[in-house]
Amino acid sequence: MALYIFRRLAFFLGALVASSVAIFLLIRAAGGNVAAIVLGRDASPDAIDALATEYGLDRPLAVQYLDWIGGMLSGDLGRSFRTNESVTDLVTSRLEVSIPLALMGLTLGLLIAIPAGIFAARNAGRPSGAFVGLLSQVGIAVPVFWAGILLSLLFGVHLGWLPTGGWTPWSVDPVQALRSLVLPVLSLGTILGAVMTRYVRSAVLDVMNQDYVRTARASGMTASQALLQVGLRNAALPIVTVIGLQMAELIGGTVIIEMVFSLPGLARMILANVAAREVIVVQSTVMLIIVFVIFVNFLIDMAYALLDPRTRRGR
Amino acid sequence: MRWLNASLLVGLVLTLAAISVALLSLVWLPYHPNIPNIPERMLPPGAPGHPLGTDTLGRDIVAQLMVGARTSMLVGAGGATISLTLGTLLGLWAAATGRMTDEAISRLADIMLSIPGMVTALVLAATLGSGMWTTILALSAFFTPSFIRVSRSAALAVLQEDFVTAARLYGRGRLFVLARHVLPNIAGVLIVQFTLYFAAGILTEAGLSYLGVGMSRPGISWGLMLNEAQNTVGVSSPLALWPGLAIVVVVLGLNLLGDGLRDVLDPKLARRAA
Repeated sequence: MALYIFRRLAFFLGALVASSVAIFLLIRAAGGNVAAIVLGRDASPDAIDALATEYGLDRPLAVQYLDWIGGMLSGDLGRSFRTNESVTDLVTSRLEVSIPLALMGLTLGLLIAIPAGIFAARNAGRPSGAFVGLLSQVGIAVPVFWAGILLSLLFGVHLGWLPTGGWTPWSVDPVQALRSLVLPVLSLGTILGAVMTRYVRSAVLDVMNQDYVRTARASGMTASQALLQVGLRNAALPIVTVIGLQMAELIGGTVIIEMVFSLPGLARMILANVAAREVIVVQSTVMLIIVFVIFVNFLIDMAYALLDPRTRRGR
Repeated sequence: MRWLNASLLVGLVLTLAAISVALLSLVWLPYHPNIPNIPERMLPPGAPGHPLGTDTLGRDIVAQLMVGARTSMLVGAGGATISLTLGTLLGLWAAATGRMTDEAISRLADIMLSIPGMVTALVLAATLGSGMWTTILALSAFFTPSFIRVSRSAALAVLQEDFVTAARLYGRGRLFVLARHVLPNIAGVLIVQFTLYFAAGILTEAGLSYLGVGMSRPGISWGLMLNEAQNTVGVSSPLALWPGLAIVVVVLGLNLLGDGLRDVLDPKLARRAA
């Protein structure tokens, strides 16, 4: 158990270092002279030098990297070139949109995928199972932003039931805030649900063919009892894995859905700063997201140890 | 022998249709897809000469969809091909050599897999500028680790086989064994993977272009068309319909093709999934 946790922890830290170096190099090395880009083509060389000195951009890359990481570790994510706002403030104000959207989207996705996947597996080879499979195939092919556009056309423009975009902060009107999230969550959750249904189906199918389920059946359990009491705990492992794999998909989906419904979340902030060449803001925000994803995957590895005693004895 | 299943047939038809449209767009288009024609703007579907209507600038929708098909095919196939090549080379290398290399390549793949692709693409677009090549590069970066994983584990299984041991005992070198015995035996798995990532590439490209960090005019992409349509959605919903339908049809086609091919090329897996 200790060895397993140690190995996963080492991977967690290694992944953080590797991805931070990659992001830093991508932005700094591929981006060229940051100060010149920020100030634009007409800037005088003196102004460029002044900005570079002010933000320490004239120091060696390694020093800048260590400075950045040191700042991140002590909670200082840097400041915007243009407005001098701290990235921490910029990010926290956006989280009240992005986190509920992503969490509710994932929850809805699981609420769809787990029953649908189990149903499709239990009815494999029958028309009803094939139908769920087909629905999931079609859902996988639908771009999440198109689902968003269609839903906002139907419920927003034609029926006028729900807002098609915009945001009211939770502190102003929680009900309105929730209403603004209904269509975004619906689009994100349905598409994620379609994608995850396939994984749940094959995980359950795998388990249903195992000897221990047959033994449970032979000892008098009904098919449902055997599946729910014996099988699901075993199917839980691959399903938990899927959640980890879907993290990247979830974040990509959240990014794009925020744009469809003009929600002032993290994604719009990143995009606006990408357009404005605010390298420090982009670099720190992207790194935060990556830290989050890697951390979730680390938690999932820990969940493995709890769900599957075999894992604890090493791989 | 049930080699022709429904998935394969439908997938093949849809994919070939998409490829044909993309090829046709190279030699023939009903109208210029980019030149505005204001007198004929916002024509509804079924208008004379414009079966699917025109957009806010009077540009023909069919012509734009055709060029969009070409973009999707190029970007999807480009991203999938580069990651197939790189991923297979690295995967085979990891499988064939000793512990250290294998460990290094596998962990690298794990790390790359845990970085959200959409966000990385935004960063790439910020530093390299948006466009077709950046998009292909971004797709290759997200997809390569999956190809590493798949080719590595498939190759490891083949390397256990008796015929590989026989070839080694016969004195064949490592490269010969990989090229002659391993690669042909994992080709099926790789072809399936290629098809599925081709589809994923089309979806991702559409998303990036929708966000404004993929293709931009004069380039045309279905995602870009949806981006433009959303600004006029209240006025004309058909504009938001066609490009989305095109994406669904092509991606569904490729995914069905991939599933169908899996059943044919990899009977062991197919039996488990059926």
